[in-house]
Amino acid sequence: MASLISLFLQRRLLCTRSNVPHNPSHWNVKQVTKSNFAGSLEEIKSHIATSDFVALSLQNTGSFSAAWHRVSPFDTPETAYLKAKHAAERFQVLQFAVCPFSFRASKVAAHPYNFHLFPRDELNMGMPSYSFSCQTSSLTSMAREGFDFNACIYDGISYLSRAQESAAKVQMEYPIHANFVVRPISNPSLVDKVFIERNKSRVRHWRNVCKDVITGDEEPLVQCLRKIVLSSEEFRSRPCMTIDVCSERQAELIIEMLQDFDDLVPLIILAKGGGAQAVRAVLTSSKEDKNLLMAELQSMEEEHNKKLCGFREVIDLISASQKPVVSYDSLNDLTFVHSKFLAPLPPTMDEFLHSLQLVFPCVVDVSRLMNKIGPPRKARNVPLAMSYLKNHFFAPVDMEFPCQDTGNKIQIHGHNVLDICKLFAKLSYVLKIAPSADSDLRNLASTLENNFNGFSTVPQETTDGEISIWRSNTRKVNCSDLVFLWGFRDDITAGMLKNMLQESHTIFSEAFDLRLVEKSSAIVVFWQPGLSKTFLDMMSNSLEVSGTLLELVSEGMKAAGYEIYDRACKLGLWESSLAEALDKATINPCCSFSPSERNLAQRCQYSELMIDLDDL
Amino acid sequence: MTKHGPLTAVTRAFTRAFTRAYSSFPLKHVTKSNFDSTFADLRAHVRAADFVAIDLEMTGVTSAPWRESFEFDRSDIRYLKVKDSAEKFAVVQFGVCPFRWDHHRDAFISHPHNFFIFPRQELESGASYEFLCQTTSMDFLSKYQFDFNTCINEGISYLSRAQERDALRRLNSRHGDGVLELKEAKDVPLVSIVDVLFSERMKNKLSEWRDGLLREGLGVSQSYGSLNESRGQFQIVFYKMRPALCLSGFTSHQLKLIQLVTRKYFRDLIYVRNEAENPHSKPLVVYADSEDDTDSLRKEVKDDSYRQAEKRIMAAIGFRQVIDLLSTEQKLLVGHNCFLDIGHIYSKFLYPLPSTAEEFAFSVNKYFPYIVDTKIVLNANQVLKMKKSSTSLSSAFSLLCPHIALGSRKCTNAALQSFVNVEIEINEMRSSEWSTGVKHEAGYDAFMTGCVFAQACSNLGIDFKLHSTSKSLIQNEKLQKHINLLYLSWSSGDIINLRSGNRSAESSLLQQKQKSVYENFVLIWGLPSILRRRDIKQCLVKVFGLTSVVSIYRVDETAVFVQFSKAEFVSKFLDLKESLERSNDPISVLHPLSKLWEGGHTFAAGYETYKEICSSPISKVLFAEQAEAIGIRWKTKLIELGVEDTVFDKESKTKASVCAAESKTGKKQHETDDSRSLCYNVINDFHDTEVKQVRASNL
Repeated sequence: MASLISLFLQRRLLCTRSNVPHNPSHWNVKQVTKSNFAGSLEEIKSHIATSDFVALSLQNTGSFSAAWHRVSPFDTPETAYLKAKHAAERFQVLQFAVCPFSFRASKVAAHPYNFHLFPRDELNMGMPSYSFSCQTSSLTSMAREGFDFNACIYDGISYLSRAQESAAKVQMEYPIHANFVVRPISNPSLVDKVFIERNKSRVRHWRNVCKDVITGDEEPLVQCLRKIVLSSEEFRSRPCMTIDVCSERQAELIIEMLQDFDDLVPLIILAKGGGAQAVRAVLTSSKEDKNLLMAELQSMEEEHNKKLCGFREVIDLISASQKPVVSYDSLNDLTFVHSKFLAPLPPTMDEFLHSLQLVFPCVVDVSRLMNKIGPPRKARNVPLAMSYLKNHFFAPVDMEFPCQDTGNKIQIHGHNVLDICKLFAKLSYVLKIAPSADSDLRNLASTLENNFNGFSTVPQETTDGEISIWRSNTRKVNCSDLVFLWGFRDDITAGMLKNMLQESHTIFSEAFDLRLVEKSSAIVVFWQPGLSKTFLDMMSNSLEVSGTLLELVSEGMKAAGYEIYDRACKLGLWESSLAEALDKATINPCCSFSPSERNLAQRCQYSELMIDLDDL
Repeated sequence: MTKHGPLTAVTRAFTRAFTRAYSSFPLKHVTKSNFDSTFADLRAHVRAADFVAIDLEMTGVTSAPWRESFEFDRSDIRYLKVKDSAEKFAVVQFGVCPFRWDHHRDAFISHPHNFFIFPRQELESGASYEFLCQTTSMDFLSKYQFDFNTCINEGISYLSRAQERDALRRLNSRHGDGVLELKEAKDVPLVSIVDVLFSERMKNKLSEWRDGLLREGLGVSQSYGSLNESRGQFQIVFYKMRPALCLSGFTSHQLKLIQLVTRKYFRDLIYVRNEAENPHSKPLVVYADSEDDTDSLRKEVKDDSYRQAEKRIMAAIGFRQVIDLLSTEQKLLVGHNCFLDIGHIYSKFLYPLPSTAEEFAFSVNKYFPYIVDTKIVLNANQVLKMKKSSTSLSSAFSLLCPHIALGSRKCTNAALQSFVNVEIEINEMRSSEWSTGVKHEAGYDAFMTGCVFAQACSNLGIDFKLHSTSKSLIQNEKLQKHINLLYLSWSSGDIINLRSGNRSAESSLLQQKQKSVYENFVLIWGLPSILRRRDIKQCLVKVFGLTSVVSIYRVDETAVFVQFSKAEFVSKFLDLKESLERSNDPISVLHPLSKLWEGGHTFAAGYETYKEICSSPISKVLFAEQAEAIGIRWKTKLIELGVEDTVFDKESKTKASVCAAESKTGKKQHETDDSRSLCYNVINDFHDTEVKQVRASNL
């Protein structure tokens, strides 16, 4: 066996040698795992501070579980968000590349880092994620690129989202030093006074006993017994006493009372709901000891924070810097960032944008910038966009970045993020928004901010390698002119279906387009407004259906307007086929929507939609 | 992206290989590259074996905390939980270890194999493959140095029988329709001048070549002046005994034009592109001398590609060959607490899991007639009876087989008990001394399971020296009573008999509890988070009396089960909840129970709703979220005493009978779909009636 492995290894080593390009210009991206995270954090902190932008690129365990879960051209921003949300909640980020960069006079200075992540349950609380999905094809293509899964799972950095961190603190009964609540309590009632006095005497008694023990020289055994009898607790090898409280007010009263004793340090233990559950008084032996304890508490809190946040600290750094965030597919990337590092994703796009804006005030979507100069099909992924730009525009941009010491290891992981930096710099040059001096930077940021209003809805992967002739038939379609057809035989092609429809009824003599979304479901675009309604009315009345249409209907074909599709996305009916999802959406009673949601649905219905027919 | 091999991975693999060689437990690791050769050997070993031990490593066990096994789970719920686990998680390692008794050496010869498997998608089909990973399980595997890189890069893929059947069916329907036959390009009008020129040029080239063929006769070497000029884009080859031109260096658009040209202008030339054979194969233009020849060529090409596609499907079966081998050889399979393992084997390599445990037992028994669980053997027998805690595989191994576990053979003679000797044979190399292997490596675990089983049999008084064939081991009456019994759940001692599909409990005490007690359960979820179990109990006791509540179980942080002492309390509670929540008068607000639905997100229902929620394919982390996700819109599901049960019983009975009638055919999936939609209808009906009630009360 050993010989077999070594043989295999030899082969691999040989391949490695022959394949690694010994190119001095080969880019070095700093690979960060658990072991070198602390050091890298300091480094990246200073790099973020000195850079103008921060580029992001994520490597996920999957992107969609069924073809129709992909964001497609007929999605409104709302449904596109729901699709991205579904993916972000299921899949996991394994690599998070961050690259702080700035560019001046066509020179880009970049500092790329590639963080390996794994949602290890460091605290044993089922956080950050209980489980995650993997799409086999994603893993296989990552493996083809030489992704090291062992490094990721063994040494990946864990993290907690902001929401999870606060929940964890509560669950751990994590003590917080209570010196911040020192304001005197106004007019204590009689009940309060009784409560204070009772506890005060308890504390005094306990303190005296403890002091006796400290001063008195009893035998260790007796000390031990006394400890058991008094059932005294210890906090950091100092005696302490826990006083249960029922309300925030009681906690404040106790803390105020404890201030009368100058050798007691009050700590608050949080309850599940968020308020205080108990107050713990820790007895210190002297003034110095008290200061020592305070320092200990301080460092303990910092250490704890580090353990809790993990990788999220990088996100916090980026957020705190308020630098523009540059990403290629921002909808996908930022839904992942939001769900993994901030909080669970809200149900609507508006809430999401609002919540995100508080953390990242400026987000630049490079693929949207790309759409300004070229057709969307050229901007499907970073390499495609790069080659398009290279062939059509002149943009002299030099990449330069300090060679970081990565121990001679040549890694290609996380290079995507450098490409994004470069692409962004080139685009800025082409679009004439490149900053020439520092003063222009703010200007640039404001120009770019407009980009954030909507996300790109360009699918990220090419569906087939064949390139057909580009025709400029990007037209605006109203959602109400779209009709979904589903449930027909799964060997019917778009052409066949179109012919059958054309023969069936006069309304199909007008211009209409039809594309298959997947097997046995299609979308029809009526170019003449109002016809979709006529068609749907006809479909609902079985008497009017005749000819080939009747044939189709009898085979099980159904039709519905865009609102059914919208509802399927809203209800989260992510079935494996669109036909199934639409079926369920039609059965589902729509009264489950609250009125406000229904309004929103209506608004969506009338929003205009850019459709690039060649992309369908 | 450039090709490369990261140095870290290599060094890591190197150190791993080194340590593994050092620990020197002889284990045959099988990956994609050495699967075919190993399988041939394994076949011989399995044929000769007395029994085969198996073990699986998965990417996870439970898809949500509330899907863990609880004491209040009825046995049908337990099956649903196992089913969910087997459907969602992937198997990453499969240990197979055949054991054969060697009379000359007076010992068992074992052949531990450790297969790395990965559900790589080898054939294109509609759905994308996806599996779930439980974070803690992945962490657990990494603690035992599981090599994920080998698994994903080199793991053997597989097709289940159902997947194979579907793939063949798809292939046949395509073949029948003739779509497979030379994908015809659509008639694209030539719009650009470039296309027109290109087509014209191609037309000339092709006719020149054809004319040349006709002029000089077939098979004679000729010079094709202009053809050779065009940068080697045309190459003269022979295809199926016919002269052909191999096209290379054209864009896909140009190829489409060539295809159009050949079809339009040349009756005796055929454009052939056989992608099925080899995705990189170049398209050809083939000359056929007559109409008949054209047809026969078409047919040949078609049959060829069909055979190729069939071959690809056969190749994609991969690891399932091992399962088929185990099934056809009908050997005694030995596992340790292996109900979940069998569930995985069934769903990954055979068919989708049936909806009830009875059907599952019936179908498993058909493919694997003899399965024995070492955990059953260890627990059921007084001779072996050991503490429940010590029946984990590794502790049972070190307890029963110290001579193997410690790697020293000396104690064999010293001990009074007779130890069964086991030797390992890998690649024709036999060894009887080794140090311990890596725990939780499937191959090693399978080996341990086999050793434990052999020793347990010996302790039961089975003498291997007298039994030469595996048949007699199966028929041995001392073993007979343990065969085909599996723990449905270890913690509760719920046992299922695979032969009859019957379930039984280990102790009679449990059996009593089985019946009727579930009518007394009420499921409450979405409670205010501050309520603890004792608070809930207090609320309930105030209304129903001190002895009314037997127990309160937590499902997860959002849900509880309340066990009442009588079934009528359940319906009474649900009625009260329904009526109190509807009215807003002070009496209902001050009612002691109203504390339970403060916040307005509290739902309550009977035990059957729990089953319905567990059977859903969705898995949200929190129970309350799950209930919402499966589309529960009502607040309270009322139960009239005894009514609900009969309805559900009837449904499940009809389901079972229909399924039995259909047995092996693939209609099961269809059937379950139907029953699911039936469930939906029930819910909808319920919803409708609720709406009506609301309207009535508003009037």
